[in-house]
Amino acid sequence: MSKENLILQSISKRFGAVHALDNFDLEVKVGELVALLGPSGCGKTTALRVVAGLERQDSGAVKLGGRDITNLPAHLRNMGMVFQAYSLFPNLSVEENVAFGLQMRKVNKRDRQKKAGELLELVGLNTQHKRFPHQLSGGQQQRVALARALAFEPEILLLDEPLSALDAQVRSNLREEIRRLQLSLGTTALFVTHDQEEAMAISDRVGVMSHGKLEQIASPDSLYNNPATEFVAGFVGVMNYIPGYQNGKSVSILGSDFKVKNSSGHQGATSALVRPESITVVAKENSSNAVVVTRSFLGASSRILCKTLDGTLIQALVPSEESSELIPGAKVQVKISANEVLVS
Amino acid sequence: MKLGKLNLPLIITLLLFGAFVVIPMGSAFEYSIRRGLEGGYGLQNYLWAVREEDFSYYLIRSTWLSAVTVLITLVILVPTLTWIHLSNSKLRELIDGLSLLPLVIPVVAFAVGAQISFPEFIQSSVMELPFLYFILALPYAYRALDIGLKAIPLKTLSEAARSAGASWLRAIVIVILPVIRSAVTATIALTFALSIGEFTMTVLLHWDTFPTWVTYVAQDNLLGAIAISMIALLVPFVLISLVALLTPEKEIKESN
Repeated sequence: MSKENLILQSISKRFGAVHALDNFDLEVKVGELVALLGPSGCGKTTALRVVAGLERQDSGAVKLGGRDITNLPAHLRNMGMVFQAYSLFPNLSVEENVAFGLQMRKVNKRDRQKKAGELLELVGLNTQHKRFPHQLSGGQQQRVALARALAFEPEILLLDEPLSALDAQVRSNLREEIRRLQLSLGTTALFVTHDQEEAMAISDRVGVMSHGKLEQIASPDSLYNNPATEFVAGFVGVMNYIPGYQNGKSVSILGSDFKVKNSSGHQGATSALVRPESITVVAKENSSNAVVVTRSFLGASSRILCKTLDGTLIQALVPSEESSELIPGAKVQVKISANEVLVS
Repeated sequence: MKLGKLNLPLIITLLLFGAFVVIPMGSAFEYSIRRGLEGGYGLQNYLWAVREEDFSYYLIRSTWLSAVTVLITLVILVPTLTWIHLSNSKLRELIDGLSLLPLVIPVVAFAVGAQISFPEFIQSSVMELPFLYFILALPYAYRALDIGLKAIPLKTLSEAARSAGASWLRAIVIVILPVIRSAVTATIALTFALSIGEFTMTVLLHWDTFPTWVTYVAQDNLLGAIAISMIALLVPFVLISLVALLTPEKEIKESN
């Protein structure tokens, strides 16, 4: 299994006029699961394909520990990959699919079967080893693909949106399974997704990408609570953009002053970035500053969409037991409970 | 099977098949078992054919040349088409068009071209024929493989194979070829059938193969020549069936 860090140094890649990767740097530590998160076209899949050797970068270097593997062909990189589309070989049985990488490494048949059996047991498909891919459900096929990618003990496990073709329930189960396997085998993994929930749920660190660059890489908590840029703040989780007036290090919104986290000393109109859970909504007939537009029950909490007097829409997340009066049309007082806010 | 309105196309297809394939074949067979002037039917034309000393020589020669043509076709076309499909190259349309040229260029032009461009050592060997047969079979072989490759998720499969440790060659041989097995079998069938029956180019280049020998024999014994042709029809059929049987039958269905 992997014993060395994966390093991408100043990788650039263009597709015609499009800059898929622009001086992209990344380091994935041993045993870590790093997710690359970003909107379509941000370059996350290209980065993964460069690591796999399936895409050739225009410049920059890929290193695995001290070794420069920039020019190493894909089949010699020893990296297991799980693709978005079910990529099982339709002419091979489940067992043969899992053992494929071992066959390529000239492992004898008995050892191949033994290892494939172990992996299939790990993914809970040991009774399906003689079946063919078309006889399996989507979730089962991706489990087999995962077993195939892990069977030859790759130095890095690469996951290219492996859950996006699955339905919600299977997706949720399989993502936990990926994490469980990655932790138990100690495999270093790079996981590409456009689904922030997926990335935040199972990753040690999440790298948010935009326009071929890494905007921020941090732990899920840190990314959510301390986004480094407006793009990260907007992309990770739900964010309200509330108009206000900035006066250097403070900003005035909804009639109160707050410290600015990312102060640039700007003076004038601005937008404050506030998470829904940092907003309180209380039903008040007399001193109201907003009206409830919709209320969505989510279980323990409810999402309340309010419209302020100046027409700004604000989303708040309130405990469901405190939201019974917050029905559409109710006059409410919206307040911000945070001490510090980001401004755009 | 329901007999009704819906089966009309099937019935028409079967009738057309009967009119254009079964009737001529049946007529040829009927002709081949005639006893000639004596009248009646018998197998003496077939017995005469297999006793002819050149029969096996030319049959083996043509079979061998056709097998080499099939090999050349697969070795050249499978990697080329795989590359074309994977690269999404703009050259694809050009190559598509070029592959049709053998249908419109007269065979005599190829024969003259071969005489002019092939080196002397190739021109002096019968092995020049497979290369020319390959060109004649190209429009059919190209299309058969093209359809097979279009029907599979080629990029994902080849990348999955490569990331699991397979070189390009192994990815093609172990993964791609078995997945497009029916297209490969069709390519082999079309190329083999066209090669083993090729006459014009062979005559123009002054080589003797099974079809030219049959024409020669027909000058003296027409019924015998027809019997030989009937036997020759069976050869590609048997060989193609063997190819289909020897390729391991596994349940190949595209994942969705």
